[in-house]
Amino acid sequence: MIAVRAPEDRSLASPLGRISPVAKLVLVATWVAGLALTTDPRPPLMLGAIGLAAAVVLGRVRPASLAVALAPLAFATLTVGFFNALLNPANGNPALAVVASLGPIRLTAPAVLAGVALACRVGAVAALGIAFALTTDTTRLVDALVQQARVPERFAYGALAAFQAVPRLAEDFVALREARRIRGLRTTWHPRILVGLLVLAIRRADRLAVAMDARGFGSGPRTRYRVERWSLPDAALLGAGSVVLVAAMVFGR
Amino acid sequence: MPGAIPGRLDGELVVGGRVAGRDPQALVARQVGIVFQDPESQLVMERVDDEVAFGLESLGWPAGEMRARVPEALAELGLGGFGRRRTARLSGGEQQRLAIAGALAPAPGILVLDEPTANLDPDGTRELAARLAAMRAARSTTIVLVEHHADLVWPIADLVLALGADGRPIALGPPGALLERHAAGLAAAGIWLPDPFGPGTAAAAPPDAPRPEPAAGRLLVEVRGVGFAWDHARPILRTMDLHLSAGDRVAMLGPNGIGKSTLGRIVSGLLRPTAGSVRLAGSDPARLPARELARLVGYVFQDPERQFVAATVRAEMEAGLEVSDRAGVAEVAATLGLPLEVFGDRSPYTLSGGEQRRLSLAPALVRRPSLLVLDEPTYGQDRHGYDRLIDFLRARLGNGTAILVATHDLRLVADLGARPFVLGATSSGAVAV
Repeated sequence: MIAVRAPEDRSLASPLGRISPVAKLVLVATWVAGLALTTDPRPPLMLGAIGLAAAVVLGRVRPASLAVALAPLAFATLTVGFFNALLNPANGNPALAVVASLGPIRLTAPAVLAGVALACRVGAVAALGIAFALTTDTTRLVDALVQQARVPERFAYGALAAFQAVPRLAEDFVALREARRIRGLRTTWHPRILVGLLVLAIRRADRLAVAMDARGFGSGPRTRYRVERWSLPDAALLGAGSVVLVAAMVFGR
Repeated sequence: MPGAIPGRLDGELVVGGRVAGRDPQALVARQVGIVFQDPESQLVMERVDDEVAFGLESLGWPAGEMRARVPEALAELGLGGFGRRRTARLSGGEQQRLAIAGALAPAPGILVLDEPTANLDPDGTRELAARLAAMRAARSTTIVLVEHHADLVWPIADLVLALGADGRPIALGPPGALLERHAAGLAAAGIWLPDPFGPGTAAAAPPDAPRPEPAAGRLLVEVRGVGFAWDHARPILRTMDLHLSAGDRVAMLGPNGIGKSTLGRIVSGLLRPTAGSVRLAGSDPARLPARELARLVGYVFQDPERQFVAATVRAEMEAGLEVSDRAGVAEVAATLGLPLEVFGDRSPYTLSGGEQRRLSLAPALVRRPSLLVLDEPTYGQDRHGYDRLIDFLRARLGNGTAILVATHDLRLVADLGARPFVLGATSSGAVAV
């Protein structure tokens, strides 16, 4: 079973939860773009830490929920950093200082530094993504994308439906593998499983599309049940976020 | 909405002065609200109030009117105060009532319900029936109800239209008059009739053939103190005990989400319990190699499309069989009304619902396992499909195979002569009645 962690209600009612999802999305995208321009480990450490602190303080995310969401990504981050350091070509340069060695394997200082910097950047992107996901209501994200970012309705509601279909897809996968086991077939990967998944997903999408059409979706101009408007806190978040980004980049030069 | 379904439409369909398929869908959607069979796959939004508002937004209702109408529509279906709940966490019955609230919110002149109780447990069905009766009493909406569940719909219908297998009308009239004049013809066409009129299978069939006493049969399934949880905070099963002897027939009963399917999957070795022990013919089914497991157990899924493993009907029936066992396949196919000369090369996905259900029973008939587990096998079946299933389970399968079935269908329990096994939310385990 895939556990899809939904944001808790207390986080959605928090100051960060009430900010326009589009404003948060823009800020996260800007920070990630900034991180792509630096190789120093300090800016990603700062931005990642600030993102997580904001999620806990301004977003009222429980530290425990944050830890559960971060754990698998932290492991992936460390693995990426370690292998990047291990396989760095600088390790083959005899002129460079060795930090650690095991038989013929040498780890040089520049390689370790590059590995740490990469791990910091990957970790920061993951942390920012989690901070965004744990403080953002999916429905509001769709509303804001349509109303504030002018994303086409068909696309936005389609994305919402696809997002909600992920847990079902996992259930289908389990059922299809069980069906193979009970028939005495091997349950490891088989192309028929993919066919079954596709058929079930298409049937379900079809039913949902018919249900949406039956309720008049796309038949004329839509009105809005929930109105998303730009507010002062949105501007404040974007302003403060930009200052933090510039400061982190300057600090890391 | 003829455009949404591939096929040919003869004649003209006029709904409230609008021609369906020719006039804009929005104009038709304003007149007709539709509720489908599966409550889950028709809900669009994450939260209850947004779900009801979705249709209003699509039809261009002003924001102020929407804010007044949404809580009103929810209250009409007994969902007052549910606005901020997540739709995925509602029970099946609540989801179905939410779907009706969404369809009714724009105040359509006509409400069409397509087998709305097919996925509901008895409580959910009762709640829905009460709401439908109240809506009928209010006389504000014309209700068109497509349903197999005769005891639910005949009493609240003003007019019944019976359709034959070829899609032509057999009879149309007030329910009382229809039953007086056409009862035999309707039954012959495979239409469910309300209880006193239906030539119930249980009544019509000869009394149950003598079967070996459970005590005489050897112990086949032994479930001891079994518990299961995906998430430790919300266990699905707790300290469950269940014993099945060879040839036993047991029906698991209880509301949606109580763990009937989970128990069936644990007994079949598809799922490993998180507590307790399971023995199937002396071994732990979860550890059995797939080939041995397949010889011991058959499993019939609620949705046949979730269990197909092959590209053609022939391959589906032969899947996992030794070459020497394949000889019997053609005969089984003919028995199930799926002769290989006609159906052999077709894809299982292109069969009708009834044909898919019969195909899903084929492996059990070819292999004759010691245990057959069925998950809601009567779901969406008309009278003929139901009778075929009963015939299959009672006569074709023979007495050697023990049956464990998860169901809401009390008629099935009676017709099988199955021992009821009620899973309850309050008790730590189950009560054998």
